[in-house]
Amino acid sequence: MSCLPHTALAAALTVTLVAPALAYDGTNCKEPGVCWEPKPGYPEKTKITGSKYDPKHDPKQVQKQGDSIKEMEDRNKKRSENFAKTGKFQYDVSKIGAN
Amino acid sequence: MKRFRTSASAFTLAASTALSVVGATLPAFANDKLVELSQSEENWPMTGKSYKAQNYSKATQINTENVKNLRPAWAFSTGVLHGHEGTPLVIGDRMYVHAAFPNPTFALDLNEPGKILWQHKPKQAPTARAVACCDVVNRGLAYWPGDGKTPSLILKTQLDGHIVALNADTGEEFWKMENSDIKVGSTLTIAPYVIKDTVLVGSSGAELGVRGYVTAYDVKTGAQKWRAYATGPDEDIKLAKDFNMANPHYGQKGLGTNKTWEGDAWKIGGGTNWGWYAFDPDTNLFYYGSGNPAPWNETMRPGDNKWTMTIWGRDIDTGEAKFGYQKTPHDEWDYAGVNVMMLSEQEDKTGKMRKLLTHPDRNGIVYTLDREDGTLVSADKLDDTVNWVKQVDLKTGIPVRDPEFATRMDHKATEICPSAMGYHNQGHDSYDPEKKLFFMGINHICMDWEPFQLPYRAGQFFVGATLWMYPGPKGDRQNYEGLGQIKAYNAISGKYAWEKMEKFSVWGGTLATAGDLVFYGTLDGFIKARNSKTGELLWKYRLPSGVIGHPMTYTHKGTQYVAIYYGVGGWPGVGLVFDLNDPTAGLGAVGAFKNLANYTQMGGGVQVFALNGKNPYDDVNIGEWTGKAN
Repeated sequence: MSCLPHTALAAALTVTLVAPALAYDGTNCKEPGVCWEPKPGYPEKTKITGSKYDPKHDPKQVQKQGDSIKEMEDRNKKRSENFAKTGKFQYDVSKIGAN
Repeated sequence: MKRFRTSASAFTLAASTALSVVGATLPAFANDKLVELSQSEENWPMTGKSYKAQNYSKATQINTENVKNLRPAWAFSTGVLHGHEGTPLVIGDRMYVHAAFPNPTFALDLNEPGKILWQHKPKQAPTARAVACCDVVNRGLAYWPGDGKTPSLILKTQLDGHIVALNADTGEEFWKMENSDIKVGSTLTIAPYVIKDTVLVGSSGAELGVRGYVTAYDVKTGAQKWRAYATGPDEDIKLAKDFNMANPHYGQKGLGTNKTWEGDAWKIGGGTNWGWYAFDPDTNLFYYGSGNPAPWNETMRPGDNKWTMTIWGRDIDTGEAKFGYQKTPHDEWDYAGVNVMMLSEQEDKTGKMRKLLTHPDRNGIVYTLDREDGTLVSADKLDDTVNWVKQVDLKTGIPVRDPEFATRMDHKATEICPSAMGYHNQGHDSYDPEKKLFFMGINHICMDWEPFQLPYRAGQFFVGATLWMYPGPKGDRQNYEGLGQIKAYNAISGKYAWEKMEKFSVWGGTLATAGDLVFYGTLDGFIKARNSKTGELLWKYRLPSGVIGHPMTYTHKGTQYVAIYYGVGGWPGVGLVFDLNDPTAGLGAVGAFKNLANYTQMGGGVQVFALNGKNPYDDVNIGEWTGKAN
């Protein structure tokens, strides 16, 4: 840890002032179930954006799973409703409207 | 042999008596039939044998006195290579066999096991293989007994994300739904689980940033009943009004988003569940664990990352969580918390009878909770060499971390125990209710770990760490052997009745029987039987390939059989399976298991044993061609 960026160093100092613990050991909780702390020299949770560790997530990529699940749920709904109605299972949703 | 027959019929009588008692006292559930089936030693109708998931059989025909006479009875090749996890199901006269990708299913006739009654061979996009993190394994099938209107069904998952119901008599597809999308890196390896008229399906893909979820489908129609996520808003996670009321210090509402995550990181936060389930009809809760957060690079996801790494108790009808205990807040080691849940009833240290759940986790701690409200009863180290945590404080539930063995950016951590493969992985273990002992297949692997930054692209790997793995302190680090252990554990005293070292990790789990035996398979290609009181090795047999599934047992026409899959693979087998040499390849497993190829090669099948090899073909005319039918 010889070349800490300025922000990380500042964050480390802040931590030292607020929490006397030398390192993150999981026992200093802000509220029940919220016990994470930055390690000495590493940014606070809200400071990771803009730091050298910024994950820089692309919102379009991050949204893809949610969209995919919604589409699968919609197709499955058509399949199960058609199955209940006709008593015959049809996987290919493009053939369901034609019934 | 006459002696065995006598004990078998005495046993059958006892089983049928037990059956009638159960039938009279249990509440009238639609799945009573599954409970009944699991009481008989003639069936093995679900993973773990019964809803208690004890992998325990009352059968005593094979016991410590005669296990030396155990011999192969018959075998079946699945025609597929790669890792064969899980165990076959047996219901009545049939054995149902599953296999690795492309996930064929076979129904065999136990009166003439050479006859394949039906086979289901799905067509799947081969691209599914590219997004499987840890070999193209599958953990098993589920069975629904039928209700008179809808036929009995075999439920299966496919690597390509489908959940499929097959007619158990014909193998025809009854319905088929999309649960997971391989385009975003989401696959299925978990075995489905049937409770009442619901089939549960988990999820895989935390190594590709998949946000985990568990889904309930109507077993008769495939209609989705509910879906519960591991991270995100409370309504997505489906928390009951009284969630964690008995243990508010575990955390309660509003923790799945920005209180324990930064920004939208929870949307790609992992927490998939690909392990095992258990169920208690009295609490109406099913139990399972959510997996690791994504990515493995801890610096990219500050916060406790709730509710990954959590032991859940959820209502089977509504999906709502009554309790959730996070074992590994802010994971830094990939200790995916999906391992086996085994239920038992035992007196605690104060003499109070408790309904319990015992769970040996990847992080090297074996947790025992009150399964009615989630209260911690014990949390003991699987081995004294666990070092990331000093201890688990039972009052606060907090693991007291040792910062020396933490991981972080711009730092290579060394000598962390357990490794990412855990001191315990996907193996389904067993519990002997008479001896009050859990028989656990344990890993003994430690690691060095160095994270790196990487972007998230849906459908691509999102790991961000380089690992070097090697035997733990009790193994042989020069020769890369001594990577496993098997132990007998009491969850109340925290004491180990016995401990034995193994050459490789005991990856597949264990089976316990009232014959005072514990059976398990090994990666180097043996099935072994130990005395469950002492741990003494009593018998072993050399199988065609290494084992990563768990043994099962059933009694058919008065003969007790023991069955096990062979076919090495899974995470420990990736070097061998995909021909890799870089020790950091295969997420670090290649280095740890570089010696495995000197003991086994790939395979795929089921091997069945009986005393003196007794089997249906003892009458040599069984299964012979007797000429044309007319």
